[in-house]
Amino acid sequence: MSQIQERGSTHVYKVNKISKEEVDGMVARCVYEDPPFCSAACPLKLDARAFLQAAAAGSFKKALQLYEKIAPFPLILSSGCEAPCEGKCRLSEIGDGLAVREVEKAVARFGEQSKLGGIFRTKKRKTVAVLGTGLFPLLLAGELEKKAYPITVCCAEADEEAYLRAAAPFLDEEAFRLELKRLRGKDIQFEFSCRLDAAFFEEKRRSADVLCASWELTGELFPEADCVQELMIFEKERIVTGPTRGVMEAAFGAKKAALTVDRLAQNLDPRNTRGQEGAVESRLYTDLSEAKELSRVPMSGGGYSKEEAVREAGRCIACHCEECMKACAYLKHYKKHPGLLGKEIYNNTQIIMGDHQLNKPMNACSLCGQCTVVCPNGFDMARVCHMARRNMVSTDKMPLAPHEFALLDMLFSNDEAFLARPQPGFEKCKYVFFPGCQALAIAPETVKAAYLDLCQRLEGGVALMLGCCGAICDWAGRYEMEQQTRDFLDRELSKLGDPIVIAGCPTCRKELESHEGLRIVGIWDLLLELGLPAGARALDRPAALHDSCGARGDAKTQDAIRELARRLGCELMDTPYDRDRAPCCGYGGLTAYANREVAAEMTDKCLARSEAPYISYCMACRDRFARQGRQSRHILELCYGTDAGAPPDISEKRWNRLTLKNELLREVWLEEPMEKKLDYPLLWTDEARRMMDDRMILTDDVIAVLEDFRQTGEAILDDDGLMVARRRVGNATFWVKFSREGEGFRVHRAWSHRMRVEKREG
Amino acid sequence: MAIEKNYYTIDPQGRLSCVKCGVPLIKGKAKFMYLDNGFPVELPVCPVCGFVYVPEELALGKVASVERALEDK
Repeated sequence: MSQIQERGSTHVYKVNKISKEEVDGMVARCVYEDPPFCSAACPLKLDARAFLQAAAAGSFKKALQLYEKIAPFPLILSSGCEAPCEGKCRLSEIGDGLAVREVEKAVARFGEQSKLGGIFRTKKRKTVAVLGTGLFPLLLAGELEKKAYPITVCCAEADEEAYLRAAAPFLDEEAFRLELKRLRGKDIQFEFSCRLDAAFFEEKRRSADVLCASWELTGELFPEADCVQELMIFEKERIVTGPTRGVMEAAFGAKKAALTVDRLAQNLDPRNTRGQEGAVESRLYTDLSEAKELSRVPMSGGGYSKEEAVREAGRCIACHCEECMKACAYLKHYKKHPGLLGKEIYNNTQIIMGDHQLNKPMNACSLCGQCTVVCPNGFDMARVCHMARRNMVSTDKMPLAPHEFALLDMLFSNDEAFLARPQPGFEKCKYVFFPGCQALAIAPETVKAAYLDLCQRLEGGVALMLGCCGAICDWAGRYEMEQQTRDFLDRELSKLGDPIVIAGCPTCRKELESHEGLRIVGIWDLLLELGLPAGARALDRPAALHDSCGARGDAKTQDAIRELARRLGCELMDTPYDRDRAPCCGYGGLTAYANREVAAEMTDKCLARSEAPYISYCMACRDRFARQGRQSRHILELCYGTDAGAPPDISEKRWNRLTLKNELLREVWLEEPMEKKLDYPLLWTDEARRMMDDRMILTDDVIAVLEDFRQTGEAILDDDGLMVARRRVGNATFWVKFSREGEGFRVHRAWSHRMRVEKREG
Repeated sequence: MAIEKNYYTIDPQGRLSCVKCGVPLIKGKAKFMYLDNGFPVELPVCPVCGFVYVPEELALGKVASVERALEDK
């Protein structure tokens, strides 16, 4: 039996099949973390989505906390805010944009102010003096107070009330009262009735670490001074300043100036590490189909009441892009957006010492490419995972266990169960039928009927090739094995006269398309040309068509299958996520072997689209749906009037392949195949069969153990009267619990482990 | 004298016997090995032929979880 070398513990570090730049480029396509359009448009960077959600939930206190992050005086900002967010609201494309400013006003008015800082707040050591009156000095003082600077505001006014009145004369009485209370509550020192002249400036320059002043005042005292607008600073005079013309301008200026104060207080260049300031562009995608309330909630008075604000905020659709997670069971399972998961999977490949904790997610992706189609930016998770798997293989860090069964199955298909023969009477053939390993395993009768039909109706000879296309090792990231399989198939095809390949499976077709110079046609295309075979029959009830992920991006094949179904007389029902958007059944990418839980969720996701029976054109899909108890048929079963029946277990799948090969050798090529026959009866309990299928233990493995027992007599006797024997086969040790039945055996239980075990001396 | 660490102990408690040698299995010294790692354990062993028995619960429980952990190293 073929074996695959288990990896050692010494890793190769120099071979890298994945580059950080490439992964970064791919990861950057994910827009999940891009800000919503309203936040992106706000120069002050209000987290408008969270703000509106809090308001919609009636939590005005939380909403106000979020608003206060950008506005030390919420009523001043909301009175003069120009609301650039409203113009960018996605709802405005299909109805009224959200009245964010009015909700802000209501929140500022009705929201309970939280107790910020308190007595335990540690103050910074550097002191700041803010000179002059107006919106900018007021807002800057508020910003700096948030940053815990000891601030002194020096103004010509006699008290706080006059100071606030001069800065924000536009506030109505109630708003003025609230903001005055807020101002008094802040930890700001005032020096009233100051003579703000040059001598006062000099005095403050000496006493404070950073000096700030209103634009007007600085301009008056230093007419020659030149302000660097993006930093809000008169560099030569070292005075931080800002505009006082409009609320928005003053608020944004105060934000920038506060950052400049921060840098100056640390004796750093204010030009560096400022991050992204002001409004930005967002690439976020929003599915507007979820929007329900398209009209603005009308105002009963001068502004929203609390209830009206809650209703208006409730219209927010909380723009977020989860298109891939909505479609893909794998991404949903790991609850991470692909940008993050992709980055983590890349990092996993670069670990030299330590646990590769992302091995499981890396091997759980079905590599089906659905995410690339549903993602508005074409994020390709399959490529990230595939490259990561190849990299793990190339650095000898890839565990063999998750994929070994599938890889051995492939070696079995291309060795013991392999068959390549020209049609009798032909030395070289025009065509070769390549049904694919799953069709041989699941529906051998259908394959036989199809081959005999093609031989009869096509001219130029139809060869037969029973084997695996190499998708298994490609999915496992075993690129050297993939090349060997490719070379092997090319050699065998060459012996048959390089015929046109008639693919029975869309994944085989896709895999074989990468072979240089190979001409391929789907059997579905030929059946449309030749007409339906004699025994074709439709399903007797409406069915859902499941598109194969192997046919993603192949509209011709998708159309051909629909046309075949139509000619058969099948009534097809529409399902969500069809054609290029179809999900994977759970077999692709070897998910079914590496992570059964995710594979089961994938199958459930496919089946949740319809209650009807499923028609598929990939035998793996047909098998997985049938295993879940759904009536499931392959289009070729309908074309040839066959029924593969209940899904076979893992041993029956191998047996089906061998039996079909031997049957065809006997009936078509009139050869007597070498068949292994047991010379003793072998029986099973039902529990043993179920157990073996679940634990991936083959009949052949059990036979190997029993053969060993027959030769050596080595076994132990348990207190239940049953014997247990064992044998190392490849990289695993198999244990079989059995009883003697006359000349033969009855198997009761079976289990295995990969660790070697031996007796220890001393 | 070095103290030897045993990772796992299973006593056959006289329930098991070796078919070939016809003697009861005893608690004996054995070793699990996987991916260049070795773990000394005590398992049911035939005192005559040295057959080491790995019970089903152990194979599917502790052994499987250690295998997973080592595979991801």
